[in-house]
Amino acid sequence: MHKTYLLDSLDELRRHLAQSHEIYQVVPQSDGARADFHWQQVGGGNWPDLVEQKPLQSPKSFFFAEQEPLYVFDGETFEEVLPTPMPFVLFGVKSCDLMAIHYQDIFFEEDPYYQARRKQGLLVGVDCVTPCEQGFCQLVNAGPSVRDDTADLVLHPLDGQRWMLVVLSAAGEQALHGLALEEASPEDLHQRWENISHCEQSFPRYPYILEGIDKLNQHAISDEFWQQLGIQCLGCSGCTTLCPTCSCFATRPIESASSQQTSVTQVRFWDSCLYESFQREASFHNPASEAGQRVKRFWYHKFSDDFVPEFGRYGCVGCGRCEATCPGVIGVHSVMKRIADDA
Amino acid sequence: MLNLTPVPIKIVDCYDDGENTRHYQFAIQETEQHLSPWLKAESGQFFMLCLPGVGEAPFTFTTLPNAQGDFRALVRRMGSVTDALFQCGVGDIIGARGPFGRGWPMERLLNQRILIVGGGCGIAPLASVINQLIDSQQFIQLEVVYAARNQAALMLNPERARWQHLIPIFNVVEDMAGLSDGEFYPGTATGILPKVLHTFGEQPDTVLLAGPEAMQTAAAEYLVAYGIDPKSIFLSIERRMHCAVGLCGHCYLNEKYVCSHGPTFSWAELLQYDIAC
Repeated sequence: MHKTYLLDSLDELRRHLAQSHEIYQVVPQSDGARADFHWQQVGGGNWPDLVEQKPLQSPKSFFFAEQEPLYVFDGETFEEVLPTPMPFVLFGVKSCDLMAIHYQDIFFEEDPYYQARRKQGLLVGVDCVTPCEQGFCQLVNAGPSVRDDTADLVLHPLDGQRWMLVVLSAAGEQALHGLALEEASPEDLHQRWENISHCEQSFPRYPYILEGIDKLNQHAISDEFWQQLGIQCLGCSGCTTLCPTCSCFATRPIESASSQQTSVTQVRFWDSCLYESFQREASFHNPASEAGQRVKRFWYHKFSDDFVPEFGRYGCVGCGRCEATCPGVIGVHSVMKRIADDA
Repeated sequence: MLNLTPVPIKIVDCYDDGENTRHYQFAIQETEQHLSPWLKAESGQFFMLCLPGVGEAPFTFTTLPNAQGDFRALVRRMGSVTDALFQCGVGDIIGARGPFGRGWPMERLLNQRILIVGGGCGIAPLASVINQLIDSQQFIQLEVVYAARNQAALMLNPERARWQHLIPIFNVVEDMAGLSDGEFYPGTATGILPKVLHTFGEQPDTVLLAGPEAMQTAAAEYLVAYGIDPKSIFLSIERRMHCAVGLCGHCYLNEKYVCSHGPTFSWAELLQYDIAC
């Protein structure tokens, strides 16, 4: 049984965590140009409200950096460059994004760069109590409630201003040390599951997603269908950039010169399996030369049973960001609907 | 935890061996501690060659690292990394990471009838296994097919000349201009298989293939039709790689990564992964 507490407001908790951590939270885009939300460091006594909306970018880059150095060559030796971030809290991570971090934790288990960041990060999740636009986390076991093994602490909005705080890990419990909190009552716990149940029932059904997954795993989708999608795909990498479980990267060297010496830093940066050059070799042999092959690969990586033994789940966490960003209308809803209808 | 940082290696020696191809000897410039993983290298595994300021690319060992950290690799000039390597000279320091991946199934080769087929620079990942077998003499029968486009593209010439005295070697060349019929056969690797298989008293127990993917799959399909079990045919698959440790995603083959699950695969596995040529 997890320890559960009540909070009259989130400020006391954030103030406490801020004594030992940098705090990051999703905030509205500051220029107000469009309705968007993004992760930003917060503090200084000015704590923004938790927003219900899902940020356009998942917190993927906090652990798997968009670009980072791997090692430096000084002309004679190669020196590993590991990141050294301050302890930080991601405050209010949605259940789908937490499941994606859990997925990446497994994938990058032996990666020293990812793990150097990950061990500094405390995850404070938040249950969703209303379905989000294009989200279908309940169909892929990623939400709307935060799953037990994906966060350190969980927030749940009760009635009015009160919040429930659920402790899921030893790190979460340690982070609360010194904070006097009132324990939640059985009625409060009941309220949490009532709210979550109501949220689950409020999601649109999206039967075509389950049908699409089924057809994909039965290999019942024609090559012509993938080729047609390939023609529509611009190869812009919007979906792979925003997808919280996409993790492909490439490497390249960057030279820097000082008065003493020239050194070379090998960096890695996000890459996309949808790029034509992704598998192209120096000989120009390209096992994925057709766009249809690449699009097929992307969707198999998200929904194929072949990947389940390693990760215990599909690669998709149901956030719907691919649908929101794709200029070619081949996000998850569009593709699954077409697969269900006519693939 | 994985280590993605190279160790310095010195270019000890190199000589031209085939069109745009050089055979290099490298020496690892590191302590005993850094050397120990390299001493466990297996035939068929690969390493990443790191040209600082240019990039990294995978190559196989033609000779595995010895106790002094010396090893050899055949390098064909093909892209920016190999271009830069060809600009380097003996004594220059570059980098290497490895060894990586799954080598040839050596335990399956012990006291068996073995057929080895290499095409073009695909002979490189086969060189150390051929040498190991010849040196140990622990086989019933060992025959090698080597296929090249033309005379200029023939590689590992000194090694093949040595093997020629010790085991049957079938050198097959598509364009025979400048070559004599007695020493070379006209045609392709797959084309000569009926003749080679006829020389085996019983059909080969294990076949190792390396070279262009289309050649390997055509040969594998022929061998299966001949009656050899797909589980007894092994291929070495080439893919673009950045990390070599199963993370960057570039070398995917269905749900597998060539760098960590391969580069050697049985034909039975590859049929399951629906390999595309």
